[in-house]
Amino acid sequence: MRRYMYMFIAFLSLASVAMAADSQIWGEMRIQNILGYGQEESLKLGPLFTMLQHQYFAWIFLGVLIGVPGAFFIHYKIIGPKVFPHSEKKYYAFNLYNRIIHQVAAVSFLVIIPTGFIIVFGDFFGGGTLVRMAKNLHGIFTIPFTIVVIPMALMWVKEAIFNWDDVKWLMIVGGYLSKEKKPILAGKFNCGQKMWYWVAILGGITMILSGAFMFFLDFKMQMLHDLTGMSQIDLLRAAAIIHNVMGFAVLALFITHVYMSMFAIKGAVHSIITGYVEEEEVKILHSTWYKKLKDQGKF
Amino acid sequence: MSRMKFYCDDHRCIECFACSVACAEAHELPTGISRRKVITLFDGIEGKEVSTSIACMHCTDAPCEQVCPVDCFYIREDGIVLHDKNKCIGCGYCLYACPFGAPQFPRDGAFGAKGAMDKCTMCAGGPLETNSEKERHLYGQNRIAEGKVPMCAAVCSTNALLVGDAESVSNIYRKRVAGRGKGV
Repeated sequence: MRRYMYMFIAFLSLASVAMAADSQIWGEMRIQNILGYGQEESLKLGPLFTMLQHQYFAWIFLGVLIGVPGAFFIHYKIIGPKVFPHSEKKYYAFNLYNRIIHQVAAVSFLVIIPTGFIIVFGDFFGGGTLVRMAKNLHGIFTIPFTIVVIPMALMWVKEAIFNWDDVKWLMIVGGYLSKEKKPILAGKFNCGQKMWYWVAILGGITMILSGAFMFFLDFKMQMLHDLTGMSQIDLLRAAAIIHNVMGFAVLALFITHVYMSMFAIKGAVHSIITGYVEEEEVKILHSTWYKKLKDQGKF
Repeated sequence: MSRMKFYCDDHRCIECFACSVACAEAHELPTGISRRKVITLFDGIEGKEVSTSIACMHCTDAPCEQVCPVDCFYIREDGIVLHDKNKCIGCGYCLYACPFGAPQFPRDGAFGAKGAMDKCTMCAGGPLETNSEKERHLYGQNRIAEGKVPMCAAVCSTNALLVGDAESVSNIYRKRVAGRGKGV
């Protein structure tokens, strides 16, 4: 809770320094900003950002957007979904607090990701009001995600630490390449879920911070300049590069997460709506967890 | 085809800020927006101090045009780099790409949201109907269309700020350098 408070305070102070009159881009620091573009001693982030944004970012996003669902479509056609009966015994795994936190994050992502796409392919959408609105929504829906990201990190961190089960899980790609229903080693979360946890939490925080840099533009953080030796505009360039590159990972795993919960494991999405997980589903896909629950007499 | 270019002769610039003020005044720019700025290096160090005036340099391979996600930039045949404020979403990418810090962002939205980008147009307006009320409101005066020199160069008392076809600008500068025997 305290960490959450600190983050809120940091967010507010970032917002207020942004309003400070002295410009970091067009004021005092403008010479460093100009020198930082392509000079010998600089990181040359200006030309790098221009090249990446001009030639690669949109294409990579398009590749992820088509490639990942495309691969899953083939998976669905060849291997098909795993179907478990949802009328059998159930175990109450996610309490109301878990579900609300997750649902807030889910709704935020459902707005942030499509609007991000509208921005990336802004020329396709013709710019103007629609894309401007997408850009604003992209920022506004970051706020609920920012509020829940730390509680979400804390409530699931114990289950998301990698262990030996995950190595075995990775060897058979979670059993998703076979139609068989053989028990697969995994705790409450399997390796795939753990990967998504870390990308969503660490990646999410990185996205929030780099996005905040870009939104507040003229923020004054001397400490950051001293630490990195970068001028204001170079920090913004770095933020833009990081925001895009991290976006690839978040997007790819988000699509995977949605596919798994909605299609690959039929009905799995209900567990985060009602809080109940189905017995056979746990038995097969999370066998380590199942053993533990069985020992405790939960099933 | 000729290409329009700015050049500021730093041997003549006396750091009077007339270009910057005249520009803001002529185009009725909001507070905090300055399309043209005067920069002084080695301020106060005798013999080393040098001033120059910077705005959008209307680059041939304009990086702003390359990175814009909504493709709102267009480069006129005479090399003037312009953009469409109605298309612009104020994302700031052009600013990150620009080596000169030319793009400006008015904070006209709620919670510090940025408005459409604003920059030097070389007094050539925008994509709207030339010399229309709307064009003037969004982009300022279109002096080029009226056959006039951009405001900044027009008021430069030492003629440090040169503007026009790249070839004639470089001819003038070459003559100056030859005359004073230094300056390149």
